[in-house]
Amino acid sequence: MRLPLDARARVNLPDDRAVARHDAAVFDLRRRRDAAVAALPEFEALRQRAAAVKRHVLDHLDLYLERFEARARAAGAVVHFAGDAAAHNRIVEELLLERGARRVVKSKSMLTEECGLNPHLEARGIEVVDTDLGERIVQLRREPPSHIVVPAIHRRRGEIGELFHRHLGTPAGESDPVRLTEHARRDLRPRFLAAQAAISGVNFAVAETGSLVVCTNEGNADLGMTLPGLHVACMGIEKLVPDLDDLALFLRLLARSATGQPITAYTTLVTGPRPGGELHVVIVDNGRTRLLASPTHRDALACIRCGACLNTCPVYRRAGGHAYGTSVAGPIGAVLAPALTADPAVRTLPLASSLCGSCSAVCPVGIDLHGQLLAWRREVPAAPARLRWAARLAAALLARPTLYRASGRLLRLAWPLLARRWPGNPAGGWLAARELPPHPGASFAARWRRRRAP
Amino acid sequence: MSGDREAVLARVRAAAGRRVPHPGVWEGAPGLTDFPAFARILAAVGGEAHGPLPERELPAALAAWADTRGAGRRVAAASAARRLCDPRWETLGEAVAPQALADVQVAVGVGCLGVAENGALAVLGRDVPNRALLFLAEHLALLLDVRGLVPDLHAAFRALPEGALAPPGLTWVSGPSKTADIEQTLVLGAHGPRSLAVFAFESTLRGG
Repeated sequence: MRLPLDARARVNLPDDRAVARHDAAVFDLRRRRDAAVAALPEFEALRQRAAAVKRHVLDHLDLYLERFEARARAAGAVVHFAGDAAAHNRIVEELLLERGARRVVKSKSMLTEECGLNPHLEARGIEVVDTDLGERIVQLRREPPSHIVVPAIHRRRGEIGELFHRHLGTPAGESDPVRLTEHARRDLRPRFLAAQAAISGVNFAVAETGSLVVCTNEGNADLGMTLPGLHVACMGIEKLVPDLDDLALFLRLLARSATGQPITAYTTLVTGPRPGGELHVVIVDNGRTRLLASPTHRDALACIRCGACLNTCPVYRRAGGHAYGTSVAGPIGAVLAPALTADPAVRTLPLASSLCGSCSAVCPVGIDLHGQLLAWRREVPAAPARLRWAARLAAALLARPTLYRASGRLLRLAWPLLARRWPGNPAGGWLAARELPPHPGASFAARWRRRRAP
Repeated sequence: MSGDREAVLARVRAAAGRRVPHPGVWEGAPGLTDFPAFARILAAVGGEAHGPLPERELPAALAAWADTRGAGRRVAAASAARRLCDPRWETLGEAVAPQALADVQVAVGVGCLGVAENGALAVLGRDVPNRALLFLAEHLALLLDVRGLVPDLHAAFRALPEGALAPPGLTWVSGPSKTADIEQTLVLGAHGPRSLAVFAFESTLRGG
């Protein structure tokens, strides 16, 4: 039986070498994270505190949303609420079209990926340029990001060189990351200068001050926020933090957990529009209140999108982000997706996990991710039929000792057939990546009796 | 305009339990606050730290540094120009369009606080009102009064002056613009400055 994740894993990581390369690249981020955590003695204390603050915020989210809205309005921002992705896209579209803005620069926002904002705007004649280098690469390739922090981590320099040769006119065969980045910079700079509006995501929204907080390393969000007069910031309802003391807490955790940096190169607090400019905030639900209302799944909303759980996950590392078919991949993607998307296929994502718990161990806000994966497994209505039948068969056999022993004998007989690769082998999925060991020739019970015999 | 407001807030209100208390203000022990600690972290994130210098030596030090960053337009935010009093820098006026800063080679601004744990400087809208300068310049220098050093971000947010968040906003700058989006190779100068230098100085006005 193959899960959708399993079937898609081979698309971008077609062979063992590609898998090994992706695995190493992703795990390198995990190692950087470990070094940064080790260098900060109070990291664990900060982490426990972050978990407590997040749970407090989620439990008082209406109060913090209203406080943020009032303070942001007082500072001159316009606050919009969107119940779902369609409403979000409509609000952004209207803001742009009403002002005749047809050239837009956008910085990273997983929410706009989730809502499908780019295709929505492009269909209405608005040019949206993703300005984060990784996002620009996947935009030119017409594919989604595969990692929430490093969107093009699944692509090699040669592929990017070829892509830039085709789209940016760089010399054929150029694959040096420094020179490729320089070409992208030269291509994007005039687009920033000519942009009529900027769209950004939001890392945190501070209720006490009405501030939006945007973190980048490239400075692309800041060029967007400072050049055109119109800035539209899109955020999920869960981005609230109570005050600046709590913001300090999350900023101390975010970049360390993401890339091992002590803080991103640029962390900007925007409180109201700049003189002569316009600032709009679109606050989106899109299924988040479903999670909030579920005592079992609410914790997933504590996520600050650092990507640490992806970087440590043995499934993500070997499957790649596109295998998930969701805007957010990895363990956190698998526990968010069932609430945020209607596609029943995403409900099988929690099945693709070894439940090793590495994700929970690195999460900077203490989400019990493998517990969440397990909880979703209990309510997978869309479990593939074959899996449900297999579970029923196993239950029947395990409850009847005679039948169980007979099935063991049958399995030992069939073993030589099952262990070999042939089309239609029911164990074929397992054999694709590993070999079955030789079986010991007798059942455990028989061998136990033999050992104990004098 | 915000037609979904009531519906979204009602759903949030119905789901919020209002039971979990806030853990209160962070009271962790602060770490090091000395300039060498700050300089070490700044170097690790790709920036360079100079000083601390007596304030009167700033103009010469800045000019010497700027000479190493290539010929071209040199712009000082008004806050920095006041400290430097050096005609070699063009003082940035209030009414300049941000797009007009696209050809700036070297810029200098003023940071209000420096954070030892992460090498970040707080640049306030008050000090650099035309924030595009921070991101369009090929190379950026920031001046920092060493008395503005704090151990960590918790202390930093507490030490921000009144009105620090006022438009156009506050940016923590930690090192130059960077990316590692192509095969995890670190490249400085992704979109913004290719280098960042922090010039720490000791104010000649004692006890001020």
